[in-house]
Amino acid sequence: MLVLSRRANESIIINGNITVTILEIRGDHIRIGIDAPRDITIHREEIHAELAAANAKAASTTTTDLSKLPRPK
Amino acid sequence: MLIFSERFGDIDCDESAALRFPHGLLGFEDETSFVVVPVGDDGIYNWLQSVKNPGLAFLTTTPHFFFSDYAPEVDDADLVELELLNENETHVLCLVTIGEDSISANLLGPIVVNTRTRIARQVVLSERRWTTREPLSVN
Repeated sequence: MLVLSRRANESIIINGNITVTILEIRGDHIRIGIDAPRDITIHREEIHAELAAANAKAASTTTTDLSKLPRPK
Repeated sequence: MLIFSERFGDIDCDESAALRFPHGLLGFEDETSFVVVPVGDDGIYNWLQSVKNPGLAFLTTTPHFFFSDYAPEVDDADLVELELLNENETHVLCLVTIGEDSISANLLGPIVVNTRTRIARQVVLSERRWTTREPLSVN
């Protein structure tokens, strides 16, 4: 992992077209601004992990009696 | 195209009928092609059977059947990826999990399908109104 030190209002540029700026540092809370092309997807890591876990659980659904699945009203 | 599946046996389908997930699903990034296998004939539930993994299938439903106020907002990166030109060519699915004591739908990470190109993508909603475990109630 590349480790860089930055102060507030300083940025890093990734791949020439993604700019990550440290906007504000307050205690253990850091606000980050990201400028990236519109086709770049950005997720908070914990949400990505939550979705991956939910998908794994969905994939482990074994075939049960599907006639008992809820039906919309 | 002949697809092998553990649940449904061999499936013979047209290659163009498959849904293409260029980025796979989260945690299943290598799974980029699925075929739709209906459950019953009322269109409420469908399986997504992996083309390359016989043991992998996801049960899905159309969330609108159960959650009439569900209107996921898709961000720019997803729209670009899906090559969506207008809303009319969009279909939204969500994965269903059958747990020991509940049946739930993942509404935080729905699957958006471009019905024209058959490109699909699991998107992550930035609004945290919905969770990955919304009970499928019958009200």
